[in-house]
Formats: sequence, C-alpha cells, structure tokens
Amino acid sequence: MSALTGWWDDFFWGSVVVGQVFFVSLILMVVFGLIGAAAKLSKSRVAQRIADAYTVVFRGTPELLVLLLIYFGSAVTLTAIAQLFDPSVKFVDIPPFWAGSFSIALIVGSYATETFRGAFMGVNPGHIEAARALGLSSVQTFFYVRIPEMWRLALPPFGNHMLSLIKDTALISIIGLNETLFAAEQAIGATGKPFTMYIVVGCIYLGFSTIITLTVMALEKYANRHLERAR
Amino acid sequence: MSFDVALIVDSIPKMLMGLGLTLQLLILSAVLGLLLATVLLLMRISGKWYLDLPAQAYIYVFRGTPILVQIFIVYYGFPQLGFIRDSFLWPILREPFGCAVVALSLNTGAYVSEILRGGVLGVDRGLHEAGSALGLSAHQRFIYITTPLAVRLAIPAYSNDVVSLMKSTALASTITLLDMMGIARTIVAETYAPYEIFISLAVIYLIMTWFIQKAFGVFERFMSRHERQ
Repeated sequence: MSALTGWWDDFFWGSVVVGQVFFVSLILMVVFGLIGAAAKLSKSRVAQRIADAYTVVFRGTPELLVLLLIYFGSAVTLTAIAQLFDPSVKFVDIPPFWAGSFSIALIVGSYATETFRGAFMGVNPGHIEAARALGLSSVQTFFYVRIPEMWRLALPPFGNHMLSLIKDTALISIIGLNETLFAAEQAIGATGKPFTMYIVVGCIYLGFSTIITLTVMALEKYANRHLERAR
Repeated sequence: MSFDVALIVDSIPKMLMGLGLTLQLLILSAVLGLLLATVLLLMRISGKWYLDLPAQAYIYVFRGTPILVQIFIVYYGFPQLGFIRDSFLWPILREPFGCAVVALSLNTGAYVSEILRGGVLGVDRGLHEAGSALGLSAHQRFIYITTPLAVRLAIPAYSNDVVSLMKSTALASTITLLDMMGIARTIVAETYAPYEIFISLAVIYLIMTWFIQKAFGVFERFMSRHERQ
C-alpha cells in the first residue's frame, strides 16, 4: 500500500478521463445505434445494406484493430492534407480522446443497432393497434406506447453495451490517452511494482462496472414498476 | 495519399504467418476456458453456498474488468510476486504466449460459465420431472437430459463468445507477441500505411468470424436434428 503514496491523484485524474470517455462515447453509441436501427428498419434497400455491412464489419473485427485504423488512418490523412498547405508539418492527429471515444462508440454502436432494432420489433403490435383504436395520433403512439415498451425491452442488453464501453476505454491507453492504465505505467516506472498498480486499475474498473450494473438494475425496476403487483 | 495495392499483396502473406499463433491462442484458450467454465457452472448450480459464492465472485471480477488489464496483470504483474516465480507455473508465466493463454482462458471462462448456466436454466422443468418419474437418478438426469438440451440452447451465445475471444487474441500483440495483429502493427510502424495494412487484416478477421459462425451453425443444426420433420 505504501507504494501507492503520491500516485493516488494520478489514478484519480485517470479515472476522471475514463468517465469522460465513457460519457462522450455513450452519447455517440446511442446515436450510431439509433441511426443503424433506423436504417435497418427503413424501406430503402441501400440503407439496409449499409447498416448490415456496418454491423457485420464492426462486430467481426478486433476492437484494437478498429481503434488503430481510425487513429492512425485519420492521422495519415490529416498529415497529408496539412502538408499541402505547409510542407514542414510532420504529424497531425485527432486527439486520442476523440479518436478513441469515436472508435469504441462505433464498435459498441453496431451491437446497439441490433438491440434497438430488436426492441422496436418486439413491441406488441396489438398495443399499437389498441392505441390507434383509442384515437392516439401516430406521434402520440410513438411516444406514449412504443418508446416506453421499447425502453423496457432494450434496457438489459443496453446495460451490457455500457459495460462493454467502459471496458473498451482501457484500449485507448494504447494510442496514448492519459487514463488509468497510463497512470499505472508511469507509477510502475517509478516504483517497480506492476502487480500493485495494475490491481489498482482493475479495482477502478470494477468500481465503474458496479456503478453501471446498479444503475441499470434501478432503471429496470423503474421501467417495470407497473408490472410489480402482477407478479 | 494513395492506396498501395502492391503493399497489400506483399504484406498479406506476412500477416498470415501470424495466423498460426492467432489460432493457437484461440483454440488453447477456448478449450481451457470451457473447462474452467464447466467447473464454475457446477459450482454455481451445486446449491452449496461455499461453492456458489466463490464462483459468483470470480465471474463478477473477471466480467467487470477489461481483458487488457487482466493480460497486463498476468504478464507484467505476476513476476512481482515471489511465490509465483517459485511455483511450478513459472515456466508458463515467464513466456508472453503462456501469459496470453492464461489471461484469455481465465477471462473467457467467466463469460462462458454464465452462457452455460443460461442453457441449464433454460431446460424445461417438465422434462426433469418426466425423468424422475421414469426412475432416473439425479446424475442420470443431469447427463442424459440437462446436458444435451443445455448444450443446444447455449450454442448461439457460445459462438458469439468464441468470436469475441478471437477478437481478444489481437490484444496479445500488446505483450510483444507477433500474432496477425502484432505483425500488422510492425508493418505499419515501418511503412506508415495504416489503411492498406489494417483494412486487409480486418478482412482476414472477418473471414475468420464468418467461418466460426458457419461452423457453429452446422453444429447447432446437428444438435437439433430430431426437430426436423
């Protein structure tokens, strides 16, 4: 434990970065998932094909590969563009924070696409018909009937997607993001205690996972509150 | 900025030299992980709290932390501990390959045991009751009724887990192993052509994913052959 003296603030700021990446990528992941699901459910053949390709590619290639491709790919492209204006430029990149958040959101978004699509299709058609028969407009039906029911179906897998996101943030240290694994590497360099430092990182991630799991459990309870008495 | 086709043609064979290592990591970890998962499953369904609780804690920890951190703990962390350096496991844990297999197996075991448990819980209770009405013992019921049905129910989820294990093998490149990912990263560091190299490698991984899914599809159809009329 004494080896950790002086490193707590590094781990703390690393955890803050993990939290920031998580929130940015969570928003992007929902956006990608909704766009993908909308494309799969649309009548356009082209949109369906593109969304199919998106889910197949990003669910079938290693996360690390996607991350490195996006980070180094964008860096090569940006450097080439910058050199058109100023040949003395050596290297331009998208900051690892943004390249990383974008990459993991793109990956987990491909899983979320299937979740959202499944939840949309899982809504009982009888409920939609009942809503229309009661005279609700299609907008009202969407917000008062479809969304609450979809939300209940999508929550458990959505919780797993959030866990994947938080765990994938660890990969971003490979392209140089200053998060907990990065802090651990620096602490190891100074103290020579790799086991202690990586266990601390593990505990930090376990803490994040626990918070997410408990939040999802609470949300599920809230989403299913009307079913409570029936059980 | 151009797409260098000659470089792709040149580097695909180089990356495929790492295919053997990727497959070794995948198959060894899948087999060891499945063994571990079976043990954890039996602990979970034993009905004894002193077996159930440790298994639950194990699954919670290994599913709640990133696989990259687990690999680093095994590869960089374990040598700090004297009793591991003195143990019989040291010849395995001294090598990056051994560390990668150990970390991947420990990780996948936690996920697979939950998949298997889902399969076991999915077996219809009525079939159990029919089994005991026919005079089968608890052991016989587990082997002849629960196991075949649970295996069939678990196949789709298990095939997804094998795909994600395959994707995790790419992380072995972070502990100096030259699997396909490791070779690709070396080539990119030399040529600075990330698009050509990484996209070709993505295609190779996609083919492997497709192959795994097809193979499990065949297995699933074999296990449900009695349902075909």
